[in-house]
Amino acid sequence: MVKNITIFTTNTCAYCGMVKKWLGAKGYEYEEVNLDQNPERQKEAFEMSGVLSVPVTVVTRTDESKEVVVGYNLAKLAPAIA
Amino acid sequence: MVEDKEVYDVVMVGAGPAALTAAIYTCREDIKTVLYEKAVVGGLAAITDWVDNYPGFPEGIAGLDLAENLRKQAERFGADIRLGDVMDISAEGDYKKLVTTDGDVYARTVLLATGSDYKKLGIPGEQEYYARGVHYCATCDGAFYRDKRLVVVGGGNSAVQEALFLTRFTTHIDLLVRSDLRASEILQHELAKQKDKITVHLGVTTDEIVATDNKVTSVRGTDSAGQTVTYETDGVFIFIGLLPNTGFLQGKIDLDEVGMIKTDELLQTSMPGVFAAGDVRSGATMQIASAAGEGATAAMMIRKQLERVA
Repeated sequence: MVKNITIFTTNTCAYCGMVKKWLGAKGYEYEEVNLDQNPERQKEAFEMSGVLSVPVTVVTRTDESKEVVVGYNLAKLAPAIA
Repeated sequence: MVEDKEVYDVVMVGAGPAALTAAIYTCREDIKTVLYEKAVVGGLAAITDWVDNYPGFPEGIAGLDLAENLRKQAERFGADIRLGDVMDISAEGDYKKLVTTDGDVYARTVLLATGSDYKKLGIPGEQEYYARGVHYCATCDGAFYRDKRLVVVGGGNSAVQEALFLTRFTTHIDLLVRSDLRASEILQHELAKQKDKITVHLGVTTDEIVATDNKVTSVRGTDSAGQTVTYETDGVFIFIGLLPNTGFLQGKIDLDEVGMIKTDELLQTSMPGVFAAGDVRSGATMQIASAAGEGATAAMMIRKQLERVA
C-alpha cells in the first residue's frame, strides 16, 4: 500500500510534468519538491536517487519501505505504486 | 475477427509536434484518433529550453509551453493521448495491428511520428556516469550545476541553445566542437555575447569522461594538432545529433541507411496505410515547423486513404 509519494522536479523539466500527469491519471496524490524553488533540497534528492537528475519519484509504503524511480519510466513507476 | 474488435481510424505512434498537429486535423474531421506516447508529450520540443523559430510566437516560446499548447489544442478536438509504448506493427488484411503496453490495438491507418532522440558519444565514462555527471537534457538536469563548471559537447543548434540555457546556472562552460560550429547565425551571435562564460573549442574531439572518487572531474579530448587536451569540469552535457526512434520497425517498414523511415511523396511508407511524418521520416529537416507541416499533410493523406477504403 502506498503511504505517500514525493516527486523532486524543476521548472523546466518536461519529464517531471509527465510523471505528475501519469500519477494524476492514476488517481494518486503526491508532494512536489521543486528544486528551483528549494535548491537546498538537491542534496536530499541526490542522496535518495544517487543521480543528478530529475524527476525523482519516491514512493513510501505503509510499512515505511521506499521505492525510488528516476526519470519518467513507466516500467518502474507502475510496479512502484502497485 | 478484427471486425469484432474496436478499430480506430488512425493510431498515431508518438505525440510530438507532427502527431499532435496531425491529430488536430483528423479529430476536427471526426476521424477516430488515438496517440501513443512512451516519453514526453510534445517530444524533443518539450525538453528544449526555448523555441525562437516556430511561427506565430514573435517573442519565441518555451518548448514546454509550445508542447502543452499543442496537446491542449489536439485534446480540444477529442484526441485520445495514451501514455504507453507501441512495440510492434503488422498488417492484418485491411487493418494494422499494433502491439502496445495496453494490449493489441487495431487501426485502419497508422501515422508513425516517433521522432528522434539524442545520440550518444560512445566514449569511456559516458555510460558509467550517466545522470551522475553525464547528461542529455539541460532543462531537466541543469539545475544541479549551480555555481559549477560544465563541458557541453556539440556544435549544432541544440548544443549551442542548451549551452546558452546552462549559463543561468554555471560559472563557466567549455563548448567542445569536433569541427566547426553548425548552429544558426543568430545562435552563434548569442554565443559570442556569452564569451566570458562560454569558451568555444573548435576542432576538438571528446575522447573520455574522467572521474575521480566516483565523480566526474574532467573531459579528455584531442585538439586539431593531435595534442591531448583536458578540461576540468563537474559535469558534461552532450548534444551531438539525433537518432531516429525506429528500433521496433526494423524488418517491418523500409528504413534508409541511417534508420529513418522511407516514404513516398504522399508520406506513405512501404506498408500501405501506414504514414510517417516529422523527425523520424527520411529527408526530414528536423525543425518543429516542418514536423507540424508534415503532420498536417499526413492527416490529409490519411483522410484520403480512409475515404478510399470506406
